[in-house]
Amino acid sequence: MAISLMSGKVTVSATVNGEPTEWLCEPRETLLEVLRDRLGLTGTKEGCSNGNCGACSVLLDGRLVNSCLVLAVETEGAEITTVEGIRGEKGLTPVQRSFLEEAALQCGFCTPGFIVAATALLQANPSPTEEQIRWWLAGNLCRCTGYDKIVRAVQKAAAEMRGEA
Amino acid sequence: MKSFEFVNPASLRSAISTLASAGEKAKLLAGGIDLLGEMKDYIQQPDIVVNLKTVPGLNRLTADRRGLRIGPLVTLTEIAEHPVIRANYTALAEAAESVGTPQIRNVGTIGGNLCQRPRCWYYRDEAVVCLKKGGSVCYAVEGENQFNAVLGGGPSWIVHPSDCAPALIALNASVEITGPQRRRVVPLEKFFTLPTQNVLQETILESGEIVTQIIVPAPAAGTRSHYMKVRHKESFDWALSGAAVMLQLRNRRVAACRVVLSGVAPIPWRSPEAEAVLRGKAVTPQVAMQAGQAAMAKARPLGKNAYKVPLTRNVVKLAVLKTAGV
Amino acid sequence: MTTEKQYRVIGTRPVRPDGVDKVTGRAVYGADVTLPRMIHGKILRSPHAHARIRGIDTREAERYPGVLAVVTAEDLPDVDVVLAVGEGGDVNMRDASHNIMASGKVLYQGHAVAAVAAVSPHVALEALKRIKVDYEPLPPVLDVRKAMAADAPLLHEDLFTDTMGQRSEHPSNIASHLIAEEGDIEQGFREASVVVEREFVTHTVHQGYIEPHAAVAEWRDDGQLTIWCSTQGAFSVREQVAQILKHPISQVKVVPTEIGGGFGGKISVYLEPVAALLSRKAGRPVKMVMDRAEVLAATGPTPGTYMKVKVGADAQGNITAAHAYLAFEAGAYPGSPIGAGCTTVFAPYRLKNVRIDGFDVLVNKPKSNAYRAPGATQAEFAAEVVMDEICEKLGMDPLEFRRKNGAKEGDWRPFGPPYTRIGAIECVEAAQASEHWKTPLVKEAGSSRRRGRGVASGYWMNWGGTSSCTGRLNPDGTVALLEGSTDIGGTRASIAMQFAEAFGIAYERVRPQVVDTDTVGYNDVTGGSRVTFGTGYAAYALAKQMQREIAAKLAAIWEVDPESVTVEGDRYSAGDKSVNLVEAANLISEQGQQVVTSVTTTPHNRSGAFATHIVDVEVDVETGKVEILRYTAVQDVGKAIHPSYVEGQMQGGVAQGIGWALNEEYIYDENGSLRNASLLDYRMPTALDIPMIETILVEVFNPDHPYGVRGVGEVPIVPPPAAISNAIYDAVGVRMTTLPISPARLCAEIMAKNSARA
Repeated sequence: MAISLMSGKVTVSATVNGEPTEWLCEPRETLLEVLRDRLGLTGTKEGCSNGNCGACSVLLDGRLVNSCLVLAVETEGAEITTVEGIRGEKGLTPVQRSFLEEAALQCGFCTPGFIVAATALLQANPSPTEEQIRWWLAGNLCRCTGYDKIVRAVQKAAAEMRGEA
Repeated sequence: MKSFEFVNPASLRSAISTLASAGEKAKLLAGGIDLLGEMKDYIQQPDIVVNLKTVPGLNRLTADRRGLRIGPLVTLTEIAEHPVIRANYTALAEAAESVGTPQIRNVGTIGGNLCQRPRCWYYRDEAVVCLKKGGSVCYAVEGENQFNAVLGGGPSWIVHPSDCAPALIALNASVEITGPQRRRVVPLEKFFTLPTQNVLQETILESGEIVTQIIVPAPAAGTRSHYMKVRHKESFDWALSGAAVMLQLRNRRVAACRVVLSGVAPIPWRSPEAEAVLRGKAVTPQVAMQAGQAAMAKARPLGKNAYKVPLTRNVVKLAVLKTAGV
Repeated sequence: MTTEKQYRVIGTRPVRPDGVDKVTGRAVYGADVTLPRMIHGKILRSPHAHARIRGIDTREAERYPGVLAVVTAEDLPDVDVVLAVGEGGDVNMRDASHNIMASGKVLYQGHAVAAVAAVSPHVALEALKRIKVDYEPLPPVLDVRKAMAADAPLLHEDLFTDTMGQRSEHPSNIASHLIAEEGDIEQGFREASVVVEREFVTHTVHQGYIEPHAAVAEWRDDGQLTIWCSTQGAFSVREQVAQILKHPISQVKVVPTEIGGGFGGKISVYLEPVAALLSRKAGRPVKMVMDRAEVLAATGPTPGTYMKVKVGADAQGNITAAHAYLAFEAGAYPGSPIGAGCTTVFAPYRLKNVRIDGFDVLVNKPKSNAYRAPGATQAEFAAEVVMDEICEKLGMDPLEFRRKNGAKEGDWRPFGPPYTRIGAIECVEAAQASEHWKTPLVKEAGSSRRRGRGVASGYWMNWGGTSSCTGRLNPDGTVALLEGSTDIGGTRASIAMQFAEAFGIAYERVRPQVVDTDTVGYNDVTGGSRVTFGTGYAAYALAKQMQREIAAKLAAIWEVDPESVTVEGDRYSAGDKSVNLVEAANLISEQGQQVVTSVTTTPHNRSGAFATHIVDVEVDVETGKVEILRYTAVQDVGKAIHPSYVEGQMQGGVAQGIGWALNEEYIYDENGSLRNASLLDYRMPTALDIPMIETILVEVFNPDHPYGVRGVGEVPIVPPPAAISNAIYDAVGVRMTTLPISPARLCAEIMAKNSARA
């Protein structure tokens, strides 16, 4: 990590959505700010900026995290996956398609966070119960749907990915 | 956030000496869940942030016949999911699992959980210079104290926000602290300080000292433990009241026990009163209820938090019954 | 009677056209907009709930490196114009202007006093700290009853009480006193064999949209102002900004971005005029995004209230009299939804003798704003809990009571014409027939847990409003459908479906877009449950108009009388000539012509939406925790255009109602500082706090709409708090009349009841 003494900015190299990426930022910038304002990846959203809503969820080295509470300079050498990096072979993944088919979004603002969280869930546990789904998604707030259709969408995606649909 | 210099120490020595020489101007970054939130609210404004995660060896977790040795950077998720901890140190797994959300647990560390600052909304308000920040008044006393202490309070009335600390104390844990001059091991019970001792801190850490290991002795045969937490929302939320209970049962009677409360006092609150009720007895709903009553006998509620008294009585009772398998 | 017509498109569940963008993160919301040379604005806010501003010194901030502009209220012109703003009704733009930038006085903690634009948000925040404001603190008024007292400190020295057109002698914090009366309530109470009177207190609650307010403004050298913002109404923003800044409306263009939730809270402007001023001063586009603390402290939550409801019923269970006293906290400026509260409080019932007194009361809290059926949740909470107690005293089934006394077409209602075709009783009957209601509930659930069941009804008006849309027939027979209603919950789909149904084409061949204020005709806001009704109505009218135009152009090409061209599905025929839409499009464009059609409609919508909800709860008497075991929402939806989105509206409203009932409240300290301005301490439900929500859609055709549509979005938030309070009563015998029913409050009531018994 190179430090530019003149401006106080730091160069950081990481892999973002599978691509080697480099950026310059101040230590006080969070990963969320860098993704949105420096890398143009505005799919990840800011809802509260202190870990209380999950709209900023990304995968950091495969772990589901709130990017608003990670400093960008901490991610040197890391693998970061945002919603923009969640793609299926033919466009949408089963999780994304199920969200659409089950109408699991209304305003859509929390949706990127949920897509990332649900994707992480099904990677870790391909056959979650309803309770387990709610547990995994308990770090993502939705104000529009009441969670019902989101849970159903995840169940449907899980079934499809297990080959049952 | 204020601008700061970000330091990635290559060794523990280097981290400690940076902290020691910068004093109040430097803060340690573990998971960042607490520190970054405080920095965004201008509660902490360090000039230097020391990234503990680049120091090797601090995220190891070993579980063997002697017990557990947990590095401070072990995440709450790792602790919650560890099969040995779930089986034999259940209170700790349940406490870790109850913290925040999956996102927070994946990043939040055990060391950070123990060393976190209070969540009192006067403390967390940049505009309020309360007692804990060097001011002269604890605003909770006459103010909105719904979530403040009912035991051990005064002159500051914060509650300690850690869930893992009560569980670890119930399991007789110690912390290893490494500083510029020395390394010491202290029972976790003695790690936390009441506001009467030092209102500006919640722990005994001195300048440059870092928690470098948490040691939990292997439980004696017949030991069970649980952590019970009551909160408003089932996720994201702090304890309105919590109890960590460890019972060692011999011939169905309590040979040894620990009862430690969360959400009610400025430190994780061990209750010798509740323990005295339980020791030597077979656990029944009656005995469990008495333990709860004893735990809260000396409670002094403020204007708006009296509900914590019956609530905690009940939480202790329920936690004792669950641990005893009744 | 349910709608029996068979539709081709309506009632199906296609994927929404903007869906792919939303699940891939490509959709652009307010804070995602970036322009070249864009800078960032931040607002300085008052720490005091009530204070005079003696002076503001911005010089140091202006000199701070990286700062390009600083504004205060001095940069705003004086205005005195009344506008109808969405569902909020009439708002004096002078109040709106002072709300977004305090002038002379600050009236709530968080009230904006100055703003800065700088090269980065971090620099802007640092510069704010360099602004010095000299305040003279004044005693704040924080409780609605205290604010109504004759000796209360006044927020506005020049505000008098309007009582149905009569002005009070002295200034007051009571902005208005509404009175609605029918019959003789004294006589009605004399006829009653049971009378119940209860007092209620509800606390301030926020809409809680996950997306904070965001806007980007670009003021160009030629005076053209363009604003990109997350809003429920681009045309309303245009009008408010033009009035507040006294800038010609023709020079203001508003581009609505995608919006991350509104629920009524994103109709009034907060950032837009400030961003515009900063942009004018700096000569650069300015982006402003609120943080969560600002959203909670300084936008438009829904009022806290003090209410009294008294109801009398005879031994047969007929309501004989009802009286409601409703005092709503308007916040810093007049304009709480007290009118709607009065209209809805007893709406589900047929009443002979009724009086409603409603008060719009100022307190030192942010100016309240619309929140999903504004005013109804509070008012009907009070009424539905009292009705439950009446039923208990009569020994009458609560659903049977509601069926017996249910409002019907032709019944009186306050401040408006009698009901037209409504589905109040149909909802109650559907609830009675539901599997939930027919499944018995076991009360005991362990030593410390008790279960209970409660019901409540709710009502919300529907609003037609004005909608415009434009259709353009493409050469391949698809249609570009331009509309101006921002899509908060899937309305692109429901509008396109109605157009496709009326135009005789497949849903997939309609391309709906939400466009800016220069590109489509006037549209009222997305709110008031009106878009599926109102913009759908316009889409229907557009389809019919386009068919007529195509027919006319074909008639000219075929040289026949236009009256002889018939339309069947997507087929146009006259005599032996017949073409489908694609062929027609080609014929027309071969002539060098196009079919581009615009319509504007303002349909009457005299209907309303009723709902009846059933909830089973489990109360832990030792912790005060309430778990929702099972929830069924029954609602009259008129006609469900896209059933998934109708269900979604119902489930979302229920979730918000559950949060309102159990967890959500603003906690102000005695100085008027909001102690819980974060999502940590302002507690909204998570996926672990709510079960699956069952929905039963009752379809009572709305005669004001070609497909029978009723507005569905708002009423589902109304019944939950009362239903839950009633269920808790059924479980543990304590009647909760304060919201939220937090564990602390419930525990205290249970203990008080137990010691009273002991």
